[in-house]
Order: sequence, then C-alpha cells, then structure tokens
Amino acid sequence: MGITEKLTEVFREVFDDETINLHEKMTADNVDAWDSLSHVNLMIAIELAFDIEFKQNEIQSFANVGELEKCINEKLIIKE
Amino acid sequence: MKIHNIAYTCLTQFCEKDLGEKPILQWIHKDLSETSFTYSDFETESNKIANVLESLEINNEDIVTIFLPRSPLLISSYFGILKRQAISCILFSSLGEDALLDRLSNSQSKILITKNSLVRKILAIKEDLPDLKAILVVDIDEHKDHFVLSLNKLMGEVESIHKYPHQLDPETPAFLQYTSGSTGKPKGALHVHGAIQDIIQSFKEIIQLAHDDTYWCTADPAWITGLSYGIIAPLSTTAASIQFGGNYNADHWLKILKDKNVTVWYTAPTALRMLMQEDEKKFDVVRSNSLKRIYSVGEPLNPEIYHWGKKTFGTEVYDNWWQSETGSIMIANHPGLAVKPGSMGKPRSGIDAFIMDDDMKPRPVGLQGHLTLHRGWRSMFRTYYHKEDAYAEKFHDSIYITGDLAYQDEDGYFWYVSRSDDVINTAGHLVGPFEVESALLEIDEIGDAAVIGVDDPLLHKKIIAFVVLPNDVIWDRTLELKCRIYISNKVSTVATPSEIIVTDKIPKNQSGKILRRVLRAVYEGEDPGDISTME
Repeated sequence: MGITEKLTEVFREVFDDETINLHEKMTADNVDAWDSLSHVNLMIAIELAFDIEFKQNEIQSFANVGELEKCINEKLIIKE
Repeated sequence: MKIHNIAYTCLTQFCEKDLGEKPILQWIHKDLSETSFTYSDFETESNKIANVLESLEINNEDIVTIFLPRSPLLISSYFGILKRQAISCILFSSLGEDALLDRLSNSQSKILITKNSLVRKILAIKEDLPDLKAILVVDIDEHKDHFVLSLNKLMGEVESIHKYPHQLDPETPAFLQYTSGSTGKPKGALHVHGAIQDIIQSFKEIIQLAHDDTYWCTADPAWITGLSYGIIAPLSTTAASIQFGGNYNADHWLKILKDKNVTVWYTAPTALRMLMQEDEKKFDVVRSNSLKRIYSVGEPLNPEIYHWGKKTFGTEVYDNWWQSETGSIMIANHPGLAVKPGSMGKPRSGIDAFIMDDDMKPRPVGLQGHLTLHRGWRSMFRTYYHKEDAYAEKFHDSIYITGDLAYQDEDGYFWYVSRSDDVINTAGHLVGPFEVESALLEIDEIGDAAVIGVDDPLLHKKIIAFVVLPNDVIWDRTLELKCRIYISNKVSTVATPSEIIVTDKIPKNQSGKILRRVLRAVYEGEDPGDISTME
C-alpha cells in the first residue's frame, strides 16, 4: 500500500468520513472536523500507522497534505 | 405592545427604506477572497428559504436546525426561519453524532439545514429522530431521495418575495441556544424576539461603534456571541462588518485586521493566547494600523493577556461577561469606564448583579459567592426547551443563579473566580463532563470513566479524563488514540481530553456520584481533603 493510500485510511478513520480523498493541495479548510484539536489525533494516528515520530516543531508546520506526505516519506527513507 | 420580528429589524426594514443595496457585510472566504453582501442579498435569500420552509409545512414554533460551518447561507437560513416564525437552532458543525442526537432529539427538530459532507452524521442517527422530516443540503443540485433534499433546487422553485407579519408579540420564541450542564444532557436555552432590544442596547452601550468603524466579531454563530454580536447587532444597526469563513489562523487573522482596516474587534481570550505564542515580528503589521479597541468574551481575560494585547496592538482590551442564557452582555468593561485588568467590569445599564451566599443572602464586598442577576431583562432565556425543571433550578425567587462564582470589589467591579459546578470552560466552549464520560463508556475497553477540568495557560481549562480498564485490557497508544477519536467524532473536537489517565478506581460517594474534587486534587498533587463520604 502506498503512502497516499495508507494516509487516506488514516484520515478516514480519524475524521470518521469514508468520503475523504486526499490530494496534495488539501488543507484543514477542506475537511470539516480538521481543527487544531483533531490535528493532534491525526498526528498520533499517522505516527502509529507509519511507525514514525514527528518532532514537536513539525506538528504544526505542514501547509497542506502534500507537505505532510513529503515529511512522512522522508522519515520512512531514514528508517530504512 | 408588539415589536418587530428580528428578521424585520435586521433586514426588511432597511430594504423598505431604500437601503437594500447598501453593502453591509464583507465576507472573507477561507482562501481570503471576498464577497460583498447587501441587505437585499440576505433579504432575498432568506425570503426564498422562508418560502421553502412554508412549502415543507414549517409553521410557528417548529424547530429548524442549522448545522453548517459559518457561511453567508447560514445567515440567510437563520432569517428565513425567523420569517416563518419558526425557531432557529444553530449548532456547531464540529459536533459529533452523540452530541447531535442529544440536541436534535431534545428540540424535536423538524428540518435540518446542512452541507453534503455532514449529511452522514445525521443519517447515522436518523432512526432516533422521528420528528425530522427532511434534511436540506446546501451544496447538492439534485435531491438524493425524499428525505435528503437539495436546498438550491427547492430555492429555485419558489418566489423571492415572502410576506410575513413584521410585528409580533415580544415573547414569540425566536432561537434556541444549546449549552452544557454538569449533569445530564445539554440544555436548549430558548430566546424570544424581544431579546433584540437588549442586544441592540448593549451593542450601542458597550461596543460603541461610530459610523465609520469597521467591526469584526470572530465568533462562530453557533456560539451566542457570534449570533447576537456577529449577526443581529451589526445588521440591525447598519454597522459595516466583516466575517471570516475560515478557522483560526494567525497569519490570516493578522492580514485581515490590517487589510480590512478593522477598527473594533470582538474576539476571545483563547484566540489572544494563541496569538501570544506567535513571533512578535508578525504583529508589526497591525501595531500602527486602524484598530481602536478590542473586546474579549468567553473566558476570563487574565491580566497577562490583557497587558500583552494592549502592548501588542496598542489599544485597550475590554473584557465582558455573559452567557447563552443571558442573550446579551451583562457585565462589561467599555470606553468611559476605567479598566481594572482581570476584572469583568461593571453591570451594564438595566442589569442588577449581586454576589450571594449558598442561602441566596447577599455577600459582603470582597467575599466570593454566587454571581446572580435580578431576572427580567429582555434577552433573558425563557426556558430550557423541554426541561422546565432544569430551568426552575436556575432561579431563586426573582434571582437568576448564573453558575459562576465571583466577588465584587469596593468600587463595584466584578471579578470572576470559577464555575460553581463541574462544567468545563475550555477555549470558550462549555463542555459537560457527563457527555464525555458517556462517550468513553461506550468504548468496549473502558470500564469506568470520570472527567474533570483543570487550569491551562492556553485553553483556560483543559479536559482530563480518568479511565478504569477491565483486567484483560492493556493501555497503549492505540487505545488512547481510539478514545480520543471516539470522543472527537461522537461529541466534539473541543471535548477531546488533553490527557487520559488510567486509574484503578473512580472515587465516588455512597450514592455513586463522582467526587471530581478528589480527582482534581490527585491530578494537581494536592490533599483531597475530606473523603469520608467516599464509598
């Protein structure tokens, strides 16, 4: 399963919405329940799903889903 | 004596006076693009919505719920409902299924207006909502079935004129505002059309806009501040205002303050505290701009934030206090009254506030007690919808007991101390611990649960949950995440605990009531005091 597919699963679980389809430019403005509080849930869920850890300064730094995916990818490469 | 329908006072009267084409609201979209709205825009759209509701046989005092993020159509929907003399109920679009079910079943809502991505939440609980006749969806062009209908399509089939009685009895119900209690389900505070008189009077007395001011109230209309002072007050007084359709974003907010030359800004302490965490350089753009004063409501404005706001924005910051139940500002700081940083200010004209002891006898100056108000102001709630007993409990003869503790100083200023009950004020939202505990107990792996609020420098109060696990369940990050997501989606994102702590037992008294003060003491490492009543 690719990063986008897996990340889509995480988003759908966190926001309880099977209709979510991720795209690079997607931001919190495009997902109803994505606010600063549910963002914490999202970050924990991504860490668990991908077995990675975000640094504190990374958690609020993603401008959109594309940047988030890029960060996940970089962490997975380092892990390998 | 009759008064005008709120919709007439806010919209129709200006269209009759040839002010229909006056730009009255600048809507700033999430992407910072803008649309200008006139009175006629809202008048026409709300007429169509009123006609749609009429075609669906919505009549006097039927409840119509608006479950939408902030948007121009939310405003039109609100006024369309009032033109039918139905009762509007605006709910936060972040509410989860359980929270929605509590509110929709209590209100026996007949119609719900929402957007397509939120429909699934309603369909999930539809079987438990026998009174709900239809869902009107604002962003689909065709009806999905006989129950999920396209509002656009329906609006295209009706006239843009709607005749309605402009005058009505001031006691005519207008809107419901849900608020959480420390026990039981949320309660819907019912307000009447006569409330607008207090909303306008307080707006003029406290906010004091001049004809050339640009006003921005950042509150969501699902919060009573957003409805009373974000929609009703500016529209009814021809105050030029702006609204932002996006969530909190420091860069966007500062850009709006600067680019729109906002002069009077009504916001919340949590927003100011979040801004306080930003790089100081970001504020250079607004320090010398047009901002004349800031108002703050929702939680106490502690002196640290007050001084930071005053220094950073170069203007006065006026805290004020009121509730969903009071309908309009009750106690306030404002121009013309010297600010005592950290104080709530003084009661506005016509409002009698007192500090009382547990027996409802006046407390001496300087001593803490129950903050109470003499009943009878025009925007006072008239009942908790379908919960008359809970309403009666809020009064002692002619005294309304606010549920807050405070004291009054020798100069007549009031000072907030805390809630007198277990309701948690987190980031300006009142969260009932019962709602969060109920959601936690729905999770198979949770045996027992209790929720408290403790001090937090950003949120005012943060939510802490204590959970007891059955013997065969192991606590790990996956289970923690499951709990967080469940609460977030079933109750609300604002109800998500900051911490979940596993414990062996929830302290309860002999009648099974959770001893939250013991949990607070344990969390804060303090002596729990008398635990003789613990089971």
